[in-house]
Amino acid sequence: MKPSKKANSAGPGAIPDSGDMVTSTADGAEEAISLEALMAGDESAFEQLVVQESPRLFRVIVRIVGDDDEAQSILQETFLQAYQRMNTFRRESKLTTWLYAIGINLARASLRKSRRLSSLEDQEVERMQPAFNRGMFVETPAIWDPARVTEFSDRQQLVRKGIEQLPEDYKTVVILRDMEEYSTDEVARMLGISSGAVRVRLHRARGALRKLLDPHMRRLPKS
Amino acid sequence: MKFLTALKTALGLAPGCEEVNEFLADYVEGTLEEKTMAQFEEHMDMCKCCNHYMDQYRRTIDMTKEAEEVVIPTELAEHTLSFLRENKVFSQDENAP
Repeated sequence: MKPSKKANSAGPGAIPDSGDMVTSTADGAEEAISLEALMAGDESAFEQLVVQESPRLFRVIVRIVGDDDEAQSILQETFLQAYQRMNTFRRESKLTTWLYAIGINLARASLRKSRRLSSLEDQEVERMQPAFNRGMFVETPAIWDPARVTEFSDRQQLVRKGIEQLPEDYKTVVILRDMEEYSTDEVARMLGISSGAVRVRLHRARGALRKLLDPHMRRLPKS
Repeated sequence: MKFLTALKTALGLAPGCEEVNEFLADYVEGTLEEKTMAQFEEHMDMCKCCNHYMDQYRRTIDMTKEAEEVVIPTELAEHTLSFLRENKVFSQDENAP
């Protein structure tokens, strides 16, 4: 069975509503990283934050930019900016949400700067949604045959190529919501958009991905 | 679209395929209101098109969740901490007691 993506190599950890962050030590005891200490510029507390969040934040960034070296650079810049801007954190969200928002913005800026743009435009994503006439499907959706693509690695490659083609806004919500399994509200806060906007983008992104996968998955006609 | 669906629900009218599609994400996640959920399931019981589409939609989500594992570079955190020290974020020497 494939291991859960929710496993965080820095430890399971849970973040209580108080805003204090929790990490697990090797012997299973829990130790809180004090938010107060972080905001006071405590270097030891910030080092703990780097150790705790680097693996998962790196994973999010590398899924967006698609390059390990670039993702490491962006990760470093993320923590640098977070430390320098710690006094601007307003506690309107969890600190990790704020931190990840910095990283995601830097990753997206990097994509735009390097002109590694998706092959699909926003309007194409809209056209890839199912068509209706008088509220009914114009075309009957095909039956998908799981026997068409049986190799796990082949399915992964199909999905990866599909996600790479999505425009940046759609790609990001798919990564955060379906791959990293953040809640809709957390994704909304990371991206600075409403929860409703997250739901709409996610639905459109899934519709576009479905369209891209369809030729490879649909049952072939009997010869 | 949501207003139209809410109106139809209030009037006890069944949703059509287009409305079912708009709320598919909520339906798949089980976050639809009880009354709306009942109407959508009633539509699903009758509509071949929506059943096929929902199957594809669910499979797309499942395949996305099977994404390739990301290999975390060794000493990722250590490299980041070194970078922060080089940029004089931290005042202490990493070898200091």
